[in-house]
Amino acid sequence: MENEISEPKNFKLGFDGKGGTFFGIIIVNWLLTVITLGFYYPWAKAKQLKFMYGATTLNGDRFAFTGTGKEMFKGYIKALVIFGVIYGVLILSIYFDFLYAGLIFFYFTFLAILPVIIHGSYRYRMSRTSWRGIRFGYRGDRTELFINYFKWFFFTIITLGIYGSWMEMKLRKYLIGNIRLGDIEFRYDGKGLEYFLLGLKGLVLTILTLGIYSFWFYKQLFAYYIDNMSLYKNGKKINFKSTLTAGNIFSLVVVNYLLLIFTLGLGYAWVVTRSMNIIFSNIEMEGDIDLDTINQTEADYNDATGEDMSDFLNIDLIF
Amino acid sequence: MHKTTGIYFDGISSTPQKIELTLDEQAVGLIFESSDIPVSTWRLAEISFEHTGDSLEIRREANKASFIQVSDADFIAGFIACLRNNGQIGWYYKLLHLGMKAYIGMAVLILGLIVGGYLLVIPWVAEKAVMLIPGSYDTSLGNTFLNQYVSENDIDTAKTDALNAFAQQLQLNNTRPLHFMVVSSGTVNAFALPNGDIIVYSGLIDLMKNYDELAGLIGHEVSHVNNRHSMKMLCRNLSGYIFISAVFSDVNGIMAVIGDNVHNLQSLSYSRQFEREADEQGTALMIQNHINPRGMTDLFSRLQTDETIVVPAFISSHPMTADRIKTIRKMIGQSSYTITNHPKLEELFQELKK
Repeated sequence: MENEISEPKNFKLGFDGKGGTFFGIIIVNWLLTVITLGFYYPWAKAKQLKFMYGATTLNGDRFAFTGTGKEMFKGYIKALVIFGVIYGVLILSIYFDFLYAGLIFFYFTFLAILPVIIHGSYRYRMSRTSWRGIRFGYRGDRTELFINYFKWFFFTIITLGIYGSWMEMKLRKYLIGNIRLGDIEFRYDGKGLEYFLLGLKGLVLTILTLGIYSFWFYKQLFAYYIDNMSLYKNGKKINFKSTLTAGNIFSLVVVNYLLLIFTLGLGYAWVVTRSMNIIFSNIEMEGDIDLDTINQTEADYNDATGEDMSDFLNIDLIF
Repeated sequence: MHKTTGIYFDGISSTPQKIELTLDEQAVGLIFESSDIPVSTWRLAEISFEHTGDSLEIRREANKASFIQVSDADFIAGFIACLRNNGQIGWYYKLLHLGMKAYIGMAVLILGLIVGGYLLVIPWVAEKAVMLIPGSYDTSLGNTFLNQYVSENDIDTAKTDALNAFAQQLQLNNTRPLHFMVVSSGTVNAFALPNGDIIVYSGLIDLMKNYDELAGLIGHEVSHVNNRHSMKMLCRNLSGYIFISAVFSDVNGIMAVIGDNVHNLQSLSYSRQFEREADEQGTALMIQNHINPRGMTDLFSRLQTDETIVVPAFISSHPMTADRIKTIRKMIGQSSYTITNHPKLEELFQELKK
């Protein structure tokens, strides 16, 4: 084996997807989805993810999404059945005049499956993502997440939402902390109190400045997510750092909005590619882990139910 | 025979391994080797590839973790040509590489399909759906509405009796029982509910000068009930809304918003269509009952010229009142009719005017 052991001090993230290429993918997906009355959706999603991951680079090498439409279609059908049952019970309860019982069941089930969906999405998505042939993985435990999720949710309710900041940080810490890239471990160190104060300050200043401060607020939020993330392997470490400026945020929000409005939505592909480009070129990595010697550790996992259910609920993965 | 150098990742570690890569079109497939790897062969039939930007990644279905990376443009062109000759380039790849003109053509085609589907299929489906919905649903929908918006106390019982007696005198071709109600209020308005309840505000009756105007109003509102316009409107709006959000929400938010707004405009035009239908059938009902059909146009003109009145809901949803008057006049001009005197209607009308 040709093991050129070096100590790389420089890492570079990037995104080089072209709007025109993505536009083609979206249009072809749209056409196929319309003429198959929606059944093409899982395949369309796989194609879109393949493009997005493939256009993202680390040190010049592309990430890969190796999931297939077929896997996601199975998950899609399962998700349809599960949601069908939940809505079915609600409709029956209206029909038989048990509306309140039906509504309680409805919201409670949604709440209960939420952590299960998050878990499933992460497991599937990570196992299907790779870089240089090394798979990502998610090692979280479903029961643990389920119990924690309800505990945090309960605290959030009884503190009238204030604990929400702590909940978000703890959730992020748990999810990201369980991500692996081969034998590299991810870590997230955001703190509830810091996050809460950041949000409070941002909110107050945004109101006082009639919204102008919001660009700096988003800049700080993004930095708080990124700067608290790190990678570990055998005592070595890589830190992430956001260099995104308030000007970048302005460009992301306002320019994207105008682009969408003036193209009646058809400029969506360019909006996505330019956004990803701005975001990835503003994340710096610094540290001493050798990316040439990552070892494969994660197994294959092919149940996409969580992935598809999160689509129905419009949940975006943090990572 | 194409030759190049590439990088091989073995799916065990992330170490890039430089390889000598040969594409053998004749028989086997991709052959590669390096100082560390013995000669390996990947048959063309078992590989898939991703062509992103200027680089090509080749994987085997059996083990997607290991792959070969090539960035030599000539080799990539040769490789794709070779797969094409082998019949291994799928329809999807071909569709995706048709270029910008084709994409725009496809976008136009889809939008055409959507507009066509929306304008032709939705009203048709809604019409069929209405036939499937039992009349009892109209009744319960109407009752709910009545309970929410009309309070028992506001109903003028004497005038309500008079109005019902007035309607009794007319042949209204109704398929479900009709109940008229007069609400004491200065509001100038009237509306029909799907259950056959027709609510008339006393403010509107006060404006009328002649019983044929009241007959015109009744004819108009009864036609809404006879044609189940409320239910048709509900079905069209709902199915249109589901259609629009299903088609656009997968694309993006802005298009969904645009679609919603177009749909709102379209639903205005549905209501115009239904108003026109009620005008025509109401006028026809007047002719059938030997009442002067000009009562209908008189009523509209009065509402239109009196600028102190806020245009009531049953005419404000357009077509603009002037247009409607013109259409009704034209219809009256084309029909032959006889008018008889209706002393009973006159008497009841006077009672309502008290």
